[in-house]
Amino acid sequence: MSEYVIEMLNITKEFPGIKANDNITLQLKHGEVHALLGENGAGKSTLMSVLFGLYQPEAGTIKKDGKVVKINNPNDANALHIGMVHQHFKLVEIFTVLDNIILGAEPNKMGFLKKAEARKKVLELSEKYGLQVDPDAKIEDISVGMQQRVEILKMLYRDNDILIFDEPTAVLTPQEIDELMEIMRNFTKEGKSILFITHKLNEIMAVADRCTVLRKGKYMGTVDIKNTTKEELSRMMVGRDVEFEVAKGEQHLGDVVLDVQNVTVPSKLHSNNAVKDVSFQVHAGEIVCLAGIEGNGQTQFVYALTGLDKMSHGKITLCGKDITKAKIRDRSKLGMSHIPEDRHKHGLVLDFSLEQNLVLQRYWEPAFQKAGFIRGKEVRKYADKLIKEYDIRSGQGPVTTARSMSGGNQQKAIVAREIDKNPELLVAVQPTRGLDVGAIEGVHKQLVAQRDAGKAVLLVSLELEEVMSVPDRILVMYEGEIVGEFNPKEVTVEELGLYMAGAKNMYREVGVGTQGQEKEGEQA
Amino acid sequence: MNVLADVISSTIVFAVPLLLVAMGGMFSERSGIINIALEGIMIIGALMGCLMMRWLDPAVTAGQLGSQLAMLIATLFSGVCGMAFAVLLAFASINLKADQTIGGTALNMLAPALAIVLTWVVQGQGQTTILIPTWSRITQETFGIAAKDTFLQNLLFKNMYLTTFLTVLLFAIAVVLLYKTKFGLRLRSCGEHPQAAASVGINVFKMRYAGVLISGFLGGIGGLAFTLAAGSGFQSSVAGYGFLALAVMIFGNWKPWSILGASLFFALFKVIGSYASSIPFMPEFKGLEGVSTYLYPMLPYIVTMILLILTSKKSRAPKAEGIPYDKGMR
Amino acid sequence: MKKGLISVLSSVISILVGLLFGLLLLIIVNPAQAFPKFGELLTAGVSSAPKFAKVLYQAAPLIMTGLAVAFAFKTGLFNIGASGQYTVGAFCALACAIIFQMPWWVCLLASVVAGAIWGFFPGLFKSLFNVNEVITSIMFNWIGMMAVNLLCMNLKKGGKLIMLPVAWVSSPIKDRTAALSYANPKAMIPKMGLDTLFDSNYMNISIFIAALVAIVMWVILNRTTFGYELKACGYNKNASIYAGINAKRNIVLSMVISGALAGLGGGLYYLAGTADYTIQKTLLAMGFNGISVALLATSNPIGTIFSALFISYIQVGGESLQPTYAKEMIDIIIAVIIYLSAFALLTKTILSRFIRLDKSNVNADKPAESEGKKA
Repeated sequence: MSEYVIEMLNITKEFPGIKANDNITLQLKHGEVHALLGENGAGKSTLMSVLFGLYQPEAGTIKKDGKVVKINNPNDANALHIGMVHQHFKLVEIFTVLDNIILGAEPNKMGFLKKAEARKKVLELSEKYGLQVDPDAKIEDISVGMQQRVEILKMLYRDNDILIFDEPTAVLTPQEIDELMEIMRNFTKEGKSILFITHKLNEIMAVADRCTVLRKGKYMGTVDIKNTTKEELSRMMVGRDVEFEVAKGEQHLGDVVLDVQNVTVPSKLHSNNAVKDVSFQVHAGEIVCLAGIEGNGQTQFVYALTGLDKMSHGKITLCGKDITKAKIRDRSKLGMSHIPEDRHKHGLVLDFSLEQNLVLQRYWEPAFQKAGFIRGKEVRKYADKLIKEYDIRSGQGPVTTARSMSGGNQQKAIVAREIDKNPELLVAVQPTRGLDVGAIEGVHKQLVAQRDAGKAVLLVSLELEEVMSVPDRILVMYEGEIVGEFNPKEVTVEELGLYMAGAKNMYREVGVGTQGQEKEGEQA
Repeated sequence: MNVLADVISSTIVFAVPLLLVAMGGMFSERSGIINIALEGIMIIGALMGCLMMRWLDPAVTAGQLGSQLAMLIATLFSGVCGMAFAVLLAFASINLKADQTIGGTALNMLAPALAIVLTWVVQGQGQTTILIPTWSRITQETFGIAAKDTFLQNLLFKNMYLTTFLTVLLFAIAVVLLYKTKFGLRLRSCGEHPQAAASVGINVFKMRYAGVLISGFLGGIGGLAFTLAAGSGFQSSVAGYGFLALAVMIFGNWKPWSILGASLFFALFKVIGSYASSIPFMPEFKGLEGVSTYLYPMLPYIVTMILLILTSKKSRAPKAEGIPYDKGMR
Repeated sequence: MKKGLISVLSSVISILVGLLFGLLLLIIVNPAQAFPKFGELLTAGVSSAPKFAKVLYQAAPLIMTGLAVAFAFKTGLFNIGASGQYTVGAFCALACAIIFQMPWWVCLLASVVAGAIWGFFPGLFKSLFNVNEVITSIMFNWIGMMAVNLLCMNLKKGGKLIMLPVAWVSSPIKDRTAALSYANPKAMIPKMGLDTLFDSNYMNISIFIAALVAIVMWVILNRTTFGYELKACGYNKNASIYAGINAKRNIVLSMVISGALAGLGGGLYYLAGTADYTIQKTLLAMGFNGISVALLATSNPIGTIFSALFISYIQVGGESLQPTYAKEMIDIIIAVIIYLSAFALLTKTILSRFIRLDKSNVNADKPAESEGKKA
């Protein structure tokens, strides 16, 4: 028997215009947790999709137990007992947990479903591995953590013993992450092998046996975790020492720009409020960061703040004017800029050209229109200016269709548009999502430049590194409430994590047993 | 009483095509393909069914072939032809990822023109109506019962066709297929989250083809059922019933039982519209011309719209409908 | 400019294949007559000045219904209700002419307003209740047709059924409206001598009005902030809301304008004075042909002028097919062309993708589609 259960040898996968995987080799041993480390866009997901049969590589071979195999689709992968928890869960929202688990591997007699049998097996598995789920709950009604358990059960239901986890911790609370690590260790004790895709060093150090590092589609090497350090891994991943510090000038705090008082926003999904009684202020010349795990009300708060959605209670004042009920356009005129969370949903009209997108917030200004007619020359001039200043790269310059631009450059275009409006308040929601290190640094510098120019910045971020390095003040949001306020210089990541996970609250007692479990309890 | 029997039996006979076609639309849309071509599919189904009846007519009148067996053949032929026509939609929207609405619109334009041309070819120049043989209806004679003018007989035999029974059967099969089988589970997953379906090894293309083909089959039979219900022969049109069926499907929230209720409801209004003059409590509008041809027939359309507005909040379309599935996308 | 070329090219290919399919069908149905009749089909439109006049005469309303559909497409709406809007437009123009004895341009305005109202409701329902506009506008097609027929049959003035010929001349005809030639000649669209030039009664200035409107629509869509907003809504409603554009208002406005265009088409056609409105139980085909016109023109307003001329041209050709073949042969050809043009949209995106790849530099690292899914 071969030492390796899976070997991916010299894999090359190209997409139009880019080599996503360039001659990559990855060998997975029996019963190990093997981490696959790399930045966003390093080619990790592509490599795993090749293993899972979603993509066919241009070159390279895959071996299972030393024998060359061909994996043309997920069925082939399944037959080889390879399973995968995708980064974005592949769950049908209106189906029940049970239906989702059996989908594609339905126990049946002449095509008729045998659900009783399926339910029995699922409950057994759930018991055995401590993966609590309610088989009859609909996916749309359960928490993200439970959805992930459903995904894991999907693999177990298919008797998979090579388990791929694609960035499984991004959506979890620290406690849920700990649980997941424990589950992973249990799997390896049973002889299952795990591929763990991540870009978080701490998790690798905690759970992995070995680690393969990718950078920009290239293979950087495989190391034993025992013999390495975080710093070394980090260097392999980014190619240089990471600078966690963001250079900032001295702070000159000005007047209150944004005043949020007791804002409450009802949830679209359930009868509870998504945002509960949130109050804070942002001054001129400071960056305030709204931190928290995804799905704790940040999105809904930003929607209410920017006017995309209504709030049920509270008051918002911008530069001394009440904008609680103001239209989006009026907020913009008063000096609010908004880098939205989802650039494809809100940020860009993908079928518009770059220049049309660059004036999306300003096309109605006299500078760009006269008597209702768009001043094409002015628009072009302005677009050229932004393209140059913000280094937005595209195939055909201002007339490039936004859809055909790379994600990073799309984001740069949005950042350019929102910052060049010269706002009093910049609301930046995950502005560095999906960007490479260089681009992230660029965005951070621009945020700081706004602050140094005496503007107010509200940054909403999920990335702890960003939370710790960019802002002057951190507000932690948990389940729709602000649970803590910190000076980034005086707080540790661990401390923040406790607040983000609801284990601590500055403003009221947190009862025993409400941490983490509360969430499950109400949804189970 | 006779009016009541008439109203009930006509309601059923008009509900049948609506139910069949809306169910067809449901299968297609729950697999992820918007089927706006139902109108065209109905026309093709009706055309081919009527042509088959015409072809079988000599054998039936000569007594060589049982009338209801002939109907069964014609009905199945309608379904198969509807299916064949639906392949055009499937090919455009699944293989070529073309805009589903545009493809469907083209087929809706193609069907009536093709029907007229074919009718000419079969019946000769200018002969635009295909007559329906009288043996198509199930009467007392079929069972060898003496005809009496009773409530029950009026209810059962005035507007009774084999398609009505078939529809009950098909409905039951459809419900089971959609909710109790592996196939149904997979089909529904493709209309909601095709990427999820693909990730567990389901062939989204195949399932969507299946959805469209089933809708072609049901739509084709529905076309024949409509022509039988309308009663005046096939004239290359199904009078917008395909679109009405789409509205019924939406109103029925893409669920079989609700669709059943919705189609009975709309058929009732259609029948009230056409029977209005013989229903005692309906206003007569004395002195107005065209009441029975233009005023009352507006009723089902107006009611449809009001109901669509009232129920719009609860309406939930399959999430991935209308979006071509691309293997490369994740 | 390459983009435009690809557009035109793909339309031309669709047309050629469609025609070829038509020829094949003619051969199957009646091989002996197929080639001569096909020749006639292709040349009838220019065989004489009156025939050509007819092409132009029918093209004018086609441009309008085509524009109606195209304009709605640009805002992401499918206005399949052009037929109903066209019908009520026609009726209001005729009512204005016959009952109120108004001059032609007032009647045309009436048709615009009527069409706009008929487009307003589906737009309103879409924006307020999110009811699919395809379904509502189809319902409005039927309601419009039936309401118009009812009104034509029942409207009275001075005790006479004013819309019918019987009010004006002694005539037994009850299934069509009174002719403008005796009911109100000044409501007829001016001919400006074109009728004598083309030796055809069909000829008037409507084609120029339609072409002018098409150009105006092009300018609105491509050169104004209003057009910018409409297109932003059509391409990405969420982003347009984010940019402070009132998307709900724009949906309604777009349907109103679309309806107005279709309504004007009805006015242009029936105010020519050469055709009377026929009271029958079918929806008018002109509205549905507008869909073909718009699709063939890939929703470009200027393009609708040419695609409408083409469709009108082969329809005139289609008349010469009778009685050997049904004139619906033409509809088959058009349907095939539309079916093919549904793919043409696809071929075009593929083609333009290739062109982009050639030019994109190394730094434009990765196409957004694949990366977007990951982010």
